[in-house]
Amino acid sequence: MTDEPPRLPRVRVTASGSPRVSRPSTRGFALPGRAPDEADDVFSRGLVRAQLRLAIGCVAAFLVVAGALAVVIAILPELGDPVVLGVPLSWLAQAYAFYPVILVFALIFVRAAARNERRYRHLAEPGSDA
Amino acid sequence: MNPAFDLTAVGLLIVVTAVLGFSGVRLSRTTGDFFVASRSVGSVWNASAISGEYLSAGTFLGLAGLVLLSGAEGFWFPIGYAAGYLLVLLFVAAPLRRSGAYTIPDFVEARLESRAARGVTSVVVLVIGWLYIVPQLHGASLALGVVANVPGWVGAVVVATLVAAIVAAGGMRAITAVQAFQYWLKLTALLVPAVFLLVVLSQGGREHDPATIFPADYGPAAVDTYATVSLLLALLLGTIGLPHVLVRFYTSPNGGSARRTTVVVIVLIGAFYAVSSTMGLIARVVAPDLAVRGLADTVVLALPARLFPGLVGELLTALIVAGAFAAFLATSSGLVVSLAGVVSQDVFGGSVRSFRLSAVLCTVVPLAVALLTEPAGLVSSVGAVFVFAASTLSPVLLLGVWWPRLTARGAVAGMVVGAVACGAAFIGGGMIPDAGPWAALLAQPAAWTIPLTTAVIVGVSLRDRAGVPFRVERYLARLHTPDS
Repeated sequence: MTDEPPRLPRVRVTASGSPRVSRPSTRGFALPGRAPDEADDVFSRGLVRAQLRLAIGCVAAFLVVAGALAVVIAILPELGDPVVLGVPLSWLAQAYAFYPVILVFALIFVRAAARNERRYRHLAEPGSDA
Repeated sequence: MNPAFDLTAVGLLIVVTAVLGFSGVRLSRTTGDFFVASRSVGSVWNASAISGEYLSAGTFLGLAGLVLLSGAEGFWFPIGYAAGYLLVLLFVAAPLRRSGAYTIPDFVEARLESRAARGVTSVVVLVIGWLYIVPQLHGASLALGVVANVPGWVGAVVVATLVAAIVAAGGMRAITAVQAFQYWLKLTALLVPAVFLLVVLSQGGREHDPATIFPADYGPAAVDTYATVSLLLALLLGTIGLPHVLVRFYTSPNGGSARRTTVVVIVLIGAFYAVSSTMGLIARVVAPDLAVRGLADTVVLALPARLFPGLVGELLTALIVAGAFAAFLATSSGLVVSLAGVVSQDVFGGSVRSFRLSAVLCTVVPLAVALLTEPAGLVSSVGAVFVFAASTLSPVLLLGVWWPRLTARGAVAGMVVGAVACGAAFIGGGMIPDAGPWAALLAQPAAWTIPLTTAVIVGVSLRDRAGVPFRVERYLARLHTPDS
C-alpha cells in the first residue's frame, strides 16, 4: 500500500455537555513535546500543600492531646488514684485510653483528606464530579 | 497443661492455614497475583490481613510478659504500634498506593530515578525483615518448649518450614486469606480466655491489694521521660518503614480505599491491644511469681491453668497456643512475602519461579540467626527493629512523598548514616553495660538517630542541586492527586 487512506477525524462521544480540560493519557508524566498543563500543575501543587498542612496539623493536634493525656495519667497517683475494679485508674487509663484518641484523629483525617481531593477534582475537572 | 491438646491445636491451625493457603493457589497465576494479589482485595478483608500480619509474637506473648515484669511502661509499646498506623495513614498510605510500585525499593527507584538508591534500600529492607523474623522464631521456640517439652530449636524450624512452603506455593493472594483468618483467630485466642479469667476474678475469693499488685513505683508516673519519648518516636515513625506493612497497601484498589483500610486496621489492632493489655493486668494479679526474666514471656500460656485447673484450663491453653502460633506464622510469612518480592526483583529477573526460590532463601537466613542466638525479651527485640526502620527507611519515605528536593545521594547518605548509628548504639550498648549517663542514649537511640538521619538526607540533598530528578513534579502530582 503506497497511498495512505484519508484519515477520518476522531469523534469523541461523551455524555456530559460540560467543558472538560483535556488531559494526557499517561497519568503523571508529560508526553514528549507536550507542554505541561500549567493550570493542572497549580491545582495539584495546591492539593499537595493542602494535604501536607492537614497531615501535619493532625499529627500536631494528636501529639498535644496524647501528651496532655499522658500528663494527666502521670499526676493521677498524687490525686489519690481511685481504684476501679481492683486496678488503679492510672493503670487502666494507661492501658486503654490512648486507642480511642488515635481512632478519632484517624477518622478526622480521612474525612478531611477526601474533602481536599473532592475540591481538587472540582477545580481540575469541572463537571466530572460536582 | 496438656501437650496433646496443645499440639492438636497447633496441628489444626497448620491444617487450616494450609487449606486456605493452597485454595488460594488456584487463583495465583500471574506475577501480579504473586506480588500484590492483583490489587483487588476489599477494605475489611485487607485490613484483617494487615492486622493479622502486624500483630506478632511481641504483642501476643511479649506484652503481658513485659507488663508483668516492668509494669505500666509496657503499655507504651502497643500505644506506639497503633499510633504508628496513624502516621502511616496521615503521611504515606494513599500516596504510596498511587505510586504503582510493588515494593519499597521499587518506590525509591521510581521516585529518585537511581539504581544505586534502589540497591541500598533493598539491603536495608532485607536487614529490617530478617531482624523482625528472628524474634518470631524465638517466640515459636519458647512457646513450643513450654507446652510440649521439646528441644528449643523445634518450634523455630517448624514455623520457618511452614512459612517458606506457604509463601513459595501461593504468594500474596494465598497469604491474604491466611492472614485475615489469623487476625480473627489471634483476637479470639486472647479474648475468650480473658473473658473466662475476668469472670472468675470478678466472683471474688482472690482478694488482692491494689497497692502491692500495681505499685506506684511501676506505675505510669514512674517511667523515664527520655526513654519513653525516644521509644515512642521510634514506634511512631518505625511503622512507616516496615517492609511488610507497606506492601499491603499496594493490594488496595486505589488511594482512597488505602486510607479507609488503614482506619479499619487502627480499629482492629486497637481492639487486640486492649485485650492483650488486659492479659497483662490479669497476669500481675494471678501470676506474680512468673515475673522473672526469661519466664515472663510465657505467662499468657500459664494463666488459664492457674484459675481453671481442669479440662477448661487445658482447652483455653490450647486455644492460646494456637493463637500464638498464628502470630508467629502471620508476621513471618508477611515479612517473607515482602522480602522475597525484593530479592526476586533485585537479584533474579522477577519471575514467579525466582519468587519461590527467594522465599526459601529469605526464611533460611533468619532461621540460622534464630538458632545461633539466645532469645531476649520479645517486646524489646521487636522494639529494636522499629528503631532501625525509623532511623533508615522512614525518613526517606516521608521526604520522598512530600519533599521535591530529595535526591538519590541524600537518601543513600541518610540510610547509611542511620544504619551505622543504630548499629553502633546497639552494639555499644551491649558491649558497655554501664555507660553511665550515656546508657540511656545507647539503649534508646531513636531520639538522636532519627534527627541525625533526617539532617543528613536534607543536608546532602540541598547541596546536590543537580541530582533532583527531572520528573519530580509530575511524580509527586501522581502520588497526591485522586486516582479514582
